[in-house]
Amino acid sequence: MVEQKKLIVSHAPFWHSGSRVTERNYHTIFAALPAVLLGFYYYGMPAVGVLCLSVATAILWELIINLVSRRPITIGDGNAALIGLLFGMLLPATMPWWAVITGTFIAIVIGKQIFGGIGSNAFNPVALAVAIMMVSWKDLFDFDSMLLNYDLEFATVYPIAAAKYFGAQGVISFNLWDLFMGRQIGGIGTTFGLGLFVGGVYLILRGFIRWEISLSFLAGVYITAFIFHLFDPIRFISPAYHLLTGYTIIGAFFLATEDSSSPVNVIPMLIYGAAGGIMTVLIRNTGAYVDGVILAILVINLIHPLLDKIRPKALGKVV
Amino acid sequence: MFTKKELRLAYALAICLLVVGAICYAAFPEKAPEQPLRLMFKVAAGKVLFDHKTHFSELGYGISCGDCHHTLSEDEYADAQSCSECHDPDEGDEEQPKRAVAFHKQCGGCHEQFGSGPTEEECSKCHVR
Repeated sequence: MVEQKKLIVSHAPFWHSGSRVTERNYHTIFAALPAVLLGFYYYGMPAVGVLCLSVATAILWELIINLVSRRPITIGDGNAALIGLLFGMLLPATMPWWAVITGTFIAIVIGKQIFGGIGSNAFNPVALAVAIMMVSWKDLFDFDSMLLNYDLEFATVYPIAAAKYFGAQGVISFNLWDLFMGRQIGGIGTTFGLGLFVGGVYLILRGFIRWEISLSFLAGVYITAFIFHLFDPIRFISPAYHLLTGYTIIGAFFLATEDSSSPVNVIPMLIYGAAGGIMTVLIRNTGAYVDGVILAILVINLIHPLLDKIRPKALGKVV
Repeated sequence: MFTKKELRLAYALAICLLVVGAICYAAFPEKAPEQPLRLMFKVAAGKVLFDHKTHFSELGYGISCGDCHHTLSEDEYADAQSCSECHDPDEGDEEQPKRAVAFHKQCGGCHEQFGSGPTEEECSKCHVR
């Protein structure tokens, strides 16, 4: 029999690569900052209030649940802060304080800690919290109603809602470049496409998120929207608008890529992302909700354990 | 895991951001401008987003306040009130029609007269759900 070396492990001592969960979380926060800063610029101090309260209460909820359940304090890893930041980014700048605190409670306690803490959550805690809030208090996520008193230098109509209600005619006044540069209303940190894109690419290059998920998510959105647009160009907006409005970009780079609720193998990742993109456009174009990203991400979170069973490679296999 | 320094950073973040957040909510409450910019009417037929600013602004349609707030004379424009102050959402008569009737007559009539904007027959161009 031919001798075959299957796995080689060297002797101790081992050297830590330096990559840690804390580093990952704070780098993700850093990557999200450009989009957050543009939100602060347009919406001013109320947006600062929402974001600060969201991050602070997310950390405090985690601390409380750690103390109540008598488990080690885990707030130092920065994951609670990241969840708080991403949750705050999806909210309108006029979100009432009680809704922010309720939302972070859902994200941290129901979305993450009930499952056993970091790495054990089946769903993205942020997406879960937003979905529950959206179903419970629909009006709080109606950006047209929530931002009535803002006089900004661009059209103050939520583009993805205008597209849903008025079709291609509803978005005719929006320029694609303006949308990419964040000249649209929406969540505090969701409108600045360029900022989110740059942040996402940074995370991909640093190896914190996988390009397969982000790219296939965006491709799924684009191709599905393209087919709809081809079918009825008056009723369904062009795919580029789908990419640049609503929660699409933040969903592709910051929500769908959450580690414990997404697959680890290449083909499952591609299917996972593409399914998210397809579901997003299906919900937007045929469903009852204005934006489908959050619900689509929950659906793909649900199927990810099954996807990971597709031709898994044995760990340590050389040949 | 994480270092003690990182734990201290998390505590500091929580406390500082909680204070800043509370101050922002207390010091910058949402304030409606004197002249509304946009109004959202939430009615059974579906909500209507009305761009008030574009209607009165010189850069928009430049409509005089009195054209819609029809009981006011020119020197009373600053006192213009919400339509619902007189036009009750549920009750009305010939002299003082209920809010929906008044709006349909006012908005649709003007749009028809100027050949611009949705008319009374084009429900879904204003009402959305």
